[in-house]
Amino acid sequence: MARTWTMQFLQYVTAILLIVLLSFHLAERIPWITGISYHESLKSERVADAYSSYGWVLLLLAYAALFHGLNGFRGMLHEWKPRHGRLWDLVFIILFLVFAGIATYTVVGLPPLP
Amino acid sequence: MGLTDRVRQYRNLPGFLQASLNPWLIKARNNPERLAFVLHRVTGFTVLLYLFLHIIVTNTPARAGWEAWDSLMEAFGAALFNKVGEFIIAGFVIFHGMNGIRLLLTEFFGVCIGKPEKPKPPYIPPSFKACQRRLLYLVFALWPILWAIAGYIIFKG
Repeated sequence: MARTWTMQFLQYVTAILLIVLLSFHLAERIPWITGISYHESLKSERVADAYSSYGWVLLLLAYAALFHGLNGFRGMLHEWKPRHGRLWDLVFIILFLVFAGIATYTVVGLPPLP
Repeated sequence: MGLTDRVRQYRNLPGFLQASLNPWLIKARNNPERLAFVLHRVTGFTVLLYLFLHIIVTNTPARAGWEAWDSLMEAFGAALFNKVGEFIIAGFVIFHGMNGIRLLLTEFFGVCIGKPEKPKPPYIPPSFKACQRRLLYLVFALWPILWAIAGYIIFKG
């Protein structure tokens, strides 16, 4: 695993990214901003439009959130059982790859609207 | 082992249990920093579990098509249980985000850290001083307001 300093630095960088990207993602659901209701914003036409217009932003959000969350969880596991450090690093890498893969497939493998 | 012995054992246990996820054994009275620390961890862990679920659910169109997505969203919107769950997660995300901004400001950008000084007794850590406390109280004050707005959007929006 990378140096502790690097991981902590990346934790802060992803936190800054998340402030911007998550605010944008949540703003998509606020009726006073979008002009449509919360439940309307989750309809397939709206979601498909979001994926095709700025899918890469949502993908970046997923990667940043996964890294930030899993790295925080890794830190807790390291505090809990410091002797199993390598195992916790492996858990971090596997979970990140699996869920980042699913997120990528969500954007890349999107079918056209019926 | 009796309950008292168990509590005494946990109290002497260094690291994880006492330091992070066991707020009932931590003397959090008059220590909002400790309360914020525990809440940050609990909300962060819960939001991570939600993130896993969210990634799996949003994969539905790619996996099963748009009809499946629409029927899933209809089912989610109709069930009060899901709305309550969403409301709880929204509150957790708001607290974690706001407290995260406070931590970024102090730890990463050095806001409210102040100049180095000799630790003369009675030593007061910088985190207990007015500027950092104000930031923390701001987080605790804004949190219920933003949570209420999120609740309005989820239940009425």
